[in-house]
Amino acid sequence: MNSLLMRYRSVLVLIVVLTVVTMLIRANTVWLDTSVVIAIYSLIALSVGISYGQAGILSVAQAAFASVGAYATAIVTARYDLPAAVGLVLALLLPPLIAYPLARLVTRLNALSLAIATLVFGQAFDIILREGGDFTGGYIGLSGIPPLPFASGLLQFHFVAWGAVLIVAVLLSNLIDSPFGRATNTLRSDTLRAVADGVNVPHVRSAILAFSASVAGLGGWLYAHHIAYIGPDSLGPSVSLSVLLMAVVGGAQTVLGPIIGAALLTLLFKFIPSQEVQGMFYGGALIAVLVLTPNGLMGLRTVIGRWMKSSATKRERATANVATGVSAARRAS
Amino acid sequence: MSIEVEKIDVRFGGVTALQDVGLTLQRGEVLAVIGPNGSGKSTLFNAITGFVDIASGSVAVDGKDMAGIPAASRIASGISRTFQTPRINPAATVEDSVLCGFHPHARISFWEGLLRPPAMSRTEAELRRRRTRVLEQLDLLGFAEQQMGELPMGIVRMVDIARAMAAEPNYLLLDEPAAGLSKTEQNVLIQQVRQLAKQGVGVLLVEHNFGLIRRLADRVIVLDRGKVLLRGTADEVSKRPEFVTAYLGTSVQ
Repeated sequence: MNSLLMRYRSVLVLIVVLTVVTMLIRANTVWLDTSVVIAIYSLIALSVGISYGQAGILSVAQAAFASVGAYATAIVTARYDLPAAVGLVLALLLPPLIAYPLARLVTRLNALSLAIATLVFGQAFDIILREGGDFTGGYIGLSGIPPLPFASGLLQFHFVAWGAVLIVAVLLSNLIDSPFGRATNTLRSDTLRAVADGVNVPHVRSAILAFSASVAGLGGWLYAHHIAYIGPDSLGPSVSLSVLLMAVVGGAQTVLGPIIGAALLTLLFKFIPSQEVQGMFYGGALIAVLVLTPNGLMGLRTVIGRWMKSSATKRERATANVATGVSAARRAS
Repeated sequence: MSIEVEKIDVRFGGVTALQDVGLTLQRGEVLAVIGPNGSGKSTLFNAITGFVDIASGSVAVDGKDMAGIPAASRIASGISRTFQTPRINPAATVEDSVLCGFHPHARISFWEGLLRPPAMSRTEAELRRRRTRVLEQLDLLGFAEQQMGELPMGIVRMVDIARAMAAEPNYLLLDEPAAGLSKTEQNVLIQQVRQLAKQGVGVLLVEHNFGLIRRLADRVIVLDRGKVLLRGTADEVSKRPEFVTAYLGTSVQ
């Protein structure tokens, strides 16, 4: 029971916060829209948390994986009038089908080569989209993507999007607390150590990247049905970097970190409207977080914990001093 | 049932780290490899476990040739090893570190990890029970919740050995396990290694502490500059002048 609470504590916190926020914003369409956008970015940032935070794979193609999911559902629903559920299956399956072999091919080399491979994939996918003619809509993209039949209202979509985030949070919490998750953790800090534990490193790394690609694809699926349009710039390389930033700012190794990062930076985006200075604030946020708490905002817990511990010992020492002072005074009198 | 190493050569570029080295490690025996620094002891470990490629010769485990079998699979099939410098994650607790050693037995796939079926919870509970047992055997229960980075070297080494033992290997390769251990810890180690050997585990030991080797090893192999210099029991070896020369250097006349 206790271990169950420990395993799902992030999920529980998320449920409580979501309940409160939903009650506050349920009638406000502007805020509901922002909330949906945060949920979608949370999913893509969570995909960074899975690949980078858990396995140390620096993938700069997470938005491209999301884009694969978004285009898949856009093509089958807008062009072939198939149900959005078919789009969901494709959005969940196609990105990992690309990610697994990609990782398997290059993961024998060092970690940096995998990062470069994801960069190349992202760029190649960008070209495919732009040169894809009618199939991908080329430079113009695809519009007229139908809304989800069971979530036509914004409030329903808010529930669907955050429901998806919750499901991913549960799955990630499960994974972290499993032998597979422990192996992933070991290989992030020390590959040779993982090999000496008998861990099949290429498989674990590839499976994690595949899972993260699938989560990104889920985010892309929601994106397409929320915005009703997808183009080559919607979930382009710059989004890959933004979500990386979100995950790092929030704390990539935790379940809640990427979600906090996504919420924070999306709100920052919303309140600093002028495009020119946004980059400055993004960079500033990154530097501030990395200097103050290198493990992201979720790392603040340990920073605060340590600070409270040290101030507690100081207070104890002070009380002890006072006590000795009092007894000394007594003795003197 | 044994590890058979036959005439292996290991080269790093132009440097020959091991040349024509052979050994047999039976299950249930303790074999010590000694030699001065740079004589190829750790390389021998790496060659057996597949961490380095051999240029020629062969390594066979229980009659099965290991050529082409990756290191992780060799570990999973029953050869555990420790490192001369323990490889640790300083942020991990002792109990979590040892839990990682059960990997070959966990047999839990990615999907099970993700979806956590009831069967997996049972496996996890069983692994945690076995972890407590291993920690108890090595006298480490008191450190279970401490972080690896906070512990003295002796304890870190013992945790590393616990992690290797957790896989319940048929062969255990210990690279300088007693370095930095206190007398008490050394005694626990000796007792555990004897116990493992009695249970039928073949133990290969790289060690500099000759007193420990005397108490523990059935046989000794002396390596010098990548070649086998001597073989025999600890007492036999220690009386040979070549051993003294290789190990302590020649006296200046």
